[in-house]
Amino acid sequence: MFRYPSLEECPLDEEEDGFQALGEEDEDIDQFNDDTFGAGAVDDDWQEAHERLAELEEKPVGSGQQAAPSSEDAELLGEPEDALAERLTRLVIESELEDPAIMRAVHTRGSGAQTMALNTSIWDGPSVLQRIRTPLLSQEMPSVSVLDYALPQRPPQAREEERDPSERALPRRSSSPIIGSPPVRAVPIGTPPKQAAMPNFNQQILCPKPVHIRATMQQRYSAPYGERMSPNQLCNVPNSSLLGHPFPTSVSPVLTHLQRAQLLGGAQAGRISPSQFARVSGLVGSPLPSVNPKLLQGRVGQMMAPTGGFRAFFGAGPAPPSQPQPPPGPVPHLQGLRPQPFRPDTTHLHPQHRRLLHQRQQQNRNQHRGLNGSVGDRGSHRGSHQEQTRKDPYANLMLQREKDWVSKIQMMQLQSTDPYLDDYYYQNYFQKLEKLSAAEEDGPKKERTKLITPQVAKLEHTYKPVQFEGSLGKLTVSSVNNPRKMIDAVVTSRGEDDETKEKQVRDKRRQTLVTIEKTYSLLLDVEDYERRYLLSLEGERPALMGERKQKICNMYDNLRGRAPGQERPSDDHFMQIMCIRKGKRLVARIIPFLSPEQAADLLLATARNLPFLIKKDAQDEVLPCLLRPFSHVLYHLPLGTVTSLVQQLTNLPQSAAAPATTNLHLATVLQNKFGLSLLYLVLSRGEELQSTDGGTELMQDNQWTELMLLAARELLRVPPAALPKPVPPPSNLLSLFSRYVDQQKLNLLQTKLQ
Amino acid sequence: MAPSSRRSVSAAARRNEERLEEKHLVLLRDGRTLIGFLRSIDQFANLVLHQTVERIHVGKKYGDIPRGIFVVRGENVVLLGEIDLEKESDTLLQQVSIEEILEEQRVELQAKQESEKLKVQALKERGLAVPRADTLDEY
Repeated sequence: MFRYPSLEECPLDEEEDGFQALGEEDEDIDQFNDDTFGAGAVDDDWQEAHERLAELEEKPVGSGQQAAPSSEDAELLGEPEDALAERLTRLVIESELEDPAIMRAVHTRGSGAQTMALNTSIWDGPSVLQRIRTPLLSQEMPSVSVLDYALPQRPPQAREEERDPSERALPRRSSSPIIGSPPVRAVPIGTPPKQAAMPNFNQQILCPKPVHIRATMQQRYSAPYGERMSPNQLCNVPNSSLLGHPFPTSVSPVLTHLQRAQLLGGAQAGRISPSQFARVSGLVGSPLPSVNPKLLQGRVGQMMAPTGGFRAFFGAGPAPPSQPQPPPGPVPHLQGLRPQPFRPDTTHLHPQHRRLLHQRQQQNRNQHRGLNGSVGDRGSHRGSHQEQTRKDPYANLMLQREKDWVSKIQMMQLQSTDPYLDDYYYQNYFQKLEKLSAAEEDGPKKERTKLITPQVAKLEHTYKPVQFEGSLGKLTVSSVNNPRKMIDAVVTSRGEDDETKEKQVRDKRRQTLVTIEKTYSLLLDVEDYERRYLLSLEGERPALMGERKQKICNMYDNLRGRAPGQERPSDDHFMQIMCIRKGKRLVARIIPFLSPEQAADLLLATARNLPFLIKKDAQDEVLPCLLRPFSHVLYHLPLGTVTSLVQQLTNLPQSAAAPATTNLHLATVLQNKFGLSLLYLVLSRGEELQSTDGGTELMQDNQWTELMLLAARELLRVPPAALPKPVPPPSNLLSLFSRYVDQQKLNLLQTKLQ
Repeated sequence: MAPSSRRSVSAAARRNEERLEEKHLVLLRDGRTLIGFLRSIDQFANLVLHQTVERIHVGKKYGDIPRGIFVVRGENVVLLGEIDLEKESDTLLQQVSIEEILEEQRVELQAKQESEKLKVQALKERGLAVPRADTLDEY
């Protein structure tokens, strides 16, 4: 729009054009006004309108029905100005109804009725809206169905009429011009596709087809809820019966007369979408030719009118006069249909989970059954079902189709190639449950249901930004898929000189942490190999094993420090790792994978530095987690190693030291839970070896004897209060000590050991 | 309750959709509790609640404020669950009138604010300053 701030500013030669343009625009707007917003936009087919009017004239009953409920509703509305408005509109409508000519005129000058529709807000009760709808309804095809518009039988005019106000009501969706954004959809994203989702879900594209569904929304807000019951009942009743749906089980697969008739009526009007039609397959073919479509439509339309709602409609007799009784043919056909699973179950729920869900469903079904009373004859079915629906006229606003669509989307998100990776806690939880139930049963073991997920090929969607050929450089447009680089962060490493001592310490710790993390990844990989082994092919297995071994070696090297070839003089690296809580846990998990020598090596290193470790562990108290793996290692150790272990623990040099001096090392060890337990473990291992071997070797081993004596002495010396409770209670230690110590001391030891 | 993994959540959601006509309880991100009939849901967890009641809990008491129809944007939903009507009746909580519960809420809020103020004061005296979380920050 050319809007110059002042007249003087616009250049002379363009002045006229500018004004002309403005004028033209105004003219254009005026011109279009009626067409776009007014009645002129309605493309009415007067012939069809006339036909329908002709129909109507045969049934003046309709208007009578409409008049009665409207008066009731007016009383319901409390506010004076609204009541006045409604009374006026009612006057207009009623007068119009009587005169076909006027009705026709209203039809062509549809703006009157439609503006009425617009002026009333959606917060008006359903009665008001319905009153406004009735003139349209009585004229046109009753368009209560929200299901399907693709059928050619329906007159296009009716749809357009309804579409018009909806277009006015909803603003046009703006399309985003940004390249690289996802494609614009013609419908709001939250709506399900028109065609029912029948085929394999895996193959179906998720995005709904761009179909004009606005008419849906219009109808939904204008159609009173009582009316909407019927088509939805059409869908939901057969659906629920066929799906094994947790619907009140009073609605059994045996449809009542009424419901069947309704189905037919609906089928006639073409309101059931083809997919649902397929499910109610028996009813499709036969009744069609027998009924005059137009008559039925007109009648059904009128019957949709009353505000009494669902019950009133049905209360008018077992079957309203127009609806034909279906021939017995389709009925047994329908009854013969067993509940088919409508939702193909592509969701990979753990079988235990599925079992639980079914149990819960059963419970609820039983509850419903209890609520509804006896599951007896059809009459009671209908009555109880109606009662439920009567209580809640707003029920089933969401079609089953829509519900399924949404859950389909959510379930599709669950598909994964590696459930143990994506849903680790879920898998573990159900495994635990299974173990618990198996443990409880203890009898005939049920087959362990394992969740074997079919490998769904994950499609890699790599996004490539749009590139033009022959262009220099890249596009500067950025969107959510190719974001622009905001900051150029450069990593600068500082020189060694500037660092202070503290920083060095910090860096060292950081390095240790990094090592731990790397080793942890290796460990997780190694632990995963077993599963991969099972899933892999024969040929791949040696390669896998090789990889695994390699990783184990790497882990060990990481733990011990660099340069595997060299002699390892210091335990420093290992100690650093052991100072950190996570490092200790890491070691505990790695040890089962190591070879005996390597494990023994670690064990020795631990024993050697035990006081240091104990001191560091004071806060965390994680050392006991090492006990179990250590004990496993010990079982495989030969005697020599055991001896040296004890030596390490007691910290005696090769030659006997002065016995009088207090052995701090041992004292600390003894006073710590882990240390004490470890000592006991080692000692008991030695005892085992002794008892099994025949003991000749050991007896000759002075070292062992000395160590034992020392240990015994220390144990005696430490006051019992300071002795912590060892984790594995020592069983054969007494016999061990008995060899070396006299009776008195033995008794003392006994008390201490308890 | 099973751990909140995607699978169990989605399975529960599917069950919830199958029974859309029972009362549901929704917890919103701003802490409000809404109870109503869930009429519609979509893949973003946008909800349409009918005959909604906002329930305010203070201590052992609660009060209901009828709110009508709610349309909730999915990103604001923390959790959604179905109310077991049998279990709803045996609750230890006591229902009170709206005025009373609002009064209780106001009192509780005041008490919280006062204690907060005292804390900040004490910290200030010691030369410490705790940055106050933004009111919109729920985490």
